[in-house]
Amino acid sequence: MFDYYLRLALRRCRQNVPMVLLVVLTMAVGIAACMTAMTIFRALSGAPLPGVSPYLYVATMDGREAVDKDNPDYQRPDSLLMLADAKALVDAHRAAQQVAVAQSLASLGNADGKRSEQAYGLMAYGPALQVFGVPLRYGRPWTEAEQSANAPVVVIDTHVAQKLFGIDNAVGRSVTLGQRSFRVIGVFAPWSPRMQIFNLGQRAGNVMGQDENFFVPAQASLDAGVGPFTSGECGKGAPVVSFQSASVAQCRWIEAWVRLDTPAQVGDYGRFLAGYAHVQHDAGRFVYPPQARLYGTQAWMTLNRVVPDDVHLNLMLAGGFLLLCLVNVAGLLAARFLRRQGDVAIRRALGASRRDVFLQHLVETGLLGLIGGVLALPLTWLGLWIVRMQPVSYADAARFSPGVFAILFALSVAVGLLVGVLPAWRMCRQPPALQIKLA
Amino acid sequence: MQLRPILSSLRRHKLTACLLVLQAALTCAIVCNVVFMIANRVQRISVPTGMAENELSVIQSTGIEKGENPQARHTTDLAVLRAIPGVQSAVAVSYSLPLDQSESSSGLCPSKQALDRAMQLNSIEGSGCMEPAVYDGTPSLINTLGLRLVAGRDFQPDEYVSAGKPAVAIVTRALAQHLYPGKQALGQSMYDGDNYIRIVGIVDKLLRPNLRKPGVDDDSMIWPQRPDRAGVLYVMRSAPQDRERVLQAASAALLKASPSRLMDPKRMQTYTEIRAEYFQRDTTMIGLLIASALGLLFVTALGITGLANFWVQQRTRSIGIRRAIGATRGDIVRYFQTENFLIVSAGVLLGMLLAFVLNAVLMQHYELQRLPWFYLLVGALVLWGLGQLAVLGPALRAAAVPPVVATRSV
Repeated sequence: MFDYYLRLALRRCRQNVPMVLLVVLTMAVGIAACMTAMTIFRALSGAPLPGVSPYLYVATMDGREAVDKDNPDYQRPDSLLMLADAKALVDAHRAAQQVAVAQSLASLGNADGKRSEQAYGLMAYGPALQVFGVPLRYGRPWTEAEQSANAPVVVIDTHVAQKLFGIDNAVGRSVTLGQRSFRVIGVFAPWSPRMQIFNLGQRAGNVMGQDENFFVPAQASLDAGVGPFTSGECGKGAPVVSFQSASVAQCRWIEAWVRLDTPAQVGDYGRFLAGYAHVQHDAGRFVYPPQARLYGTQAWMTLNRVVPDDVHLNLMLAGGFLLLCLVNVAGLLAARFLRRQGDVAIRRALGASRRDVFLQHLVETGLLGLIGGVLALPLTWLGLWIVRMQPVSYADAARFSPGVFAILFALSVAVGLLVGVLPAWRMCRQPPALQIKLA
Repeated sequence: MQLRPILSSLRRHKLTACLLVLQAALTCAIVCNVVFMIANRVQRISVPTGMAENELSVIQSTGIEKGENPQARHTTDLAVLRAIPGVQSAVAVSYSLPLDQSESSSGLCPSKQALDRAMQLNSIEGSGCMEPAVYDGTPSLINTLGLRLVAGRDFQPDEYVSAGKPAVAIVTRALAQHLYPGKQALGQSMYDGDNYIRIVGIVDKLLRPNLRKPGVDDDSMIWPQRPDRAGVLYVMRSAPQDRERVLQAASAALLKASPSRLMDPKRMQTYTEIRAEYFQRDTTMIGLLIASALGLLFVTALGITGLANFWVQQRTRSIGIRRAIGATRGDIVRYFQTENFLIVSAGVLLGMLLAFVLNAVLMQHYELQRLPWFYLLVGALVLWGLGQLAVLGPALRAAAVPPVVATRSV
């Protein structure tokens, strides 16, 4: 029966080509607009580190050590800590896993200094690779012993390994970082969070996650003269520091991330954190009430507005546009079907049930929807291309993916059926006798 | 024009008529809100800075010679820049310019008591203190930027300091009113926690490097402090058409005067470019909003035309009968136009309701004000016009149906 309906539908499509074209194109444009916005939205929603970030929390507190008359309010939770505080939190081992990290930008060179590569990486205190779930391809992460001895070791990604040594497995080689030579103890596949999660307070406007090319123990890196990308906030009397300075002893520049698996753990750790901050405040180090608080990754990103409002607005607009296209097409289809009351009357008189008539029309609109979806494919591609050309921070998110294709396919059939339901229902409602008379 | 026949024929096409009404309503609701958002963004990006924007160009230079005296370097550089043909004046500033994103701001109180109050409240809100953006620069900054001095005077040469804090300042009219509401601000002494700073002049307007919220965007202060770092921003004023040439000449002249400096090619800009960069996201969004509004209207027009075409085909016989019993072509055209007007009007009424609902939803999630009613009026007018335009073609085709059709069976 289905293929008979399909043949009927195809025959009907050939009868009034301009009309069919109008219906199909309207659907295609609506679907394409929606898919373009949805692709970007999908790329910018969900967990920044799938499987890991839902359990990650960042510690925030007002850790200022001097009265700041320019900004007496603690208007926004601040995740930047002094290295001493971050070390204390990590060394307390109160969470399942904990690490302090700061973004760094450094030049990595090979031993003879002939090749070098400017690379982003994370300076860390604690087991950063394990906490963030960075998959190692060769070698191993650094040990606590190496960290406490300030051993010059580094873990790099295959991209840097290829650039410097021409091979993936660079374990055992030496890399120059700042003024010292570091031993490569591990190599990982290129890795980046899907969205920006580190140092959000100072890197407003970045949406897409940064490719991290290396991980290095924080103290060893500072010893070699390589500091964080931004020096954060420095107390009064601190030496004037600039970007990438390593004299950050009096600055708050590093963030503490902890992994907590259950709500009970989150509650416990929150109390521990508040207690720690209060002790510092009572001892006179933190001059303001510390207001220490834990933020889950998602809440932290929302608070810092990592994903611009515009992205949500675009999705709503595109949704509205698709809705309008649907109403439009439903109207056209209703008119189109009602002109064929005669055919239907004859089919009904010959014994077709209402259900048959209903199904026949649904098959027709489903087919139209599918054709619309096929046309929407190049249109979506075009839309994404236009977005990529725009000077917006999320332009990189506008990439076609197999998942998008599946959604587009499902959406187009759903759209076809949805617009068909009302007209098809209307068609099967009229009694056969009246329809014959009309015909 | 009789409405009854129109209404009764619409009653026979309830489903299609309702869908058309719904379509007009959705378009009205969305387009009203989109146009409102466009208007908001346009207003945001057209905020005046108070400067002679299209006459300014900017070049950044960072001296890298060890042991060089930055201020001596700036003086030499400025002399070189002023010698370039077409440059009317040139100044050096540390880094702040309106809408240039690098901001230096400072807490400033109308009096010492206000500062104590702020300390007590542990907040600047409600204490009378403000947090203006602070601009510095070499002499003749006011003239070079083209600011309008509305009271007081420009700085005198002996008021400029090379290091430390100056004792006088020029504030914007907005900052003067915020600090000393209802009082004469000129001559007052502001307190910044360590020193008193006397207001010697008031300029009409000078925007902040970063916009915060409408009330305080214009709170700025200029003080006579010469830039004292190796990295500096030179601002040159010239005729608008000379700017590109002046920038080229300036970079060549600066490098000739001293090659040991870094000049980022990205920071050789006309002020127009700086402004465009600041509002780039808004501009992109405006483009997208306009495109979607036009798309919505276009799809609606297509829908109206498509359906009207169908109805004309369907009613060919009855049109023929009406023509045969005396209706003129004009009557037929007016019939379809009136029908369309009725449908769109119903859509507009429903759409106004929807527009307010949509606006309420948007207000919850985004920084958006309540939709002013005249946007609805404009939306209604646009939709009526669009409907009439879209139905005109089919209506004329209907009018062309000859009366003789009545005698044939269709």
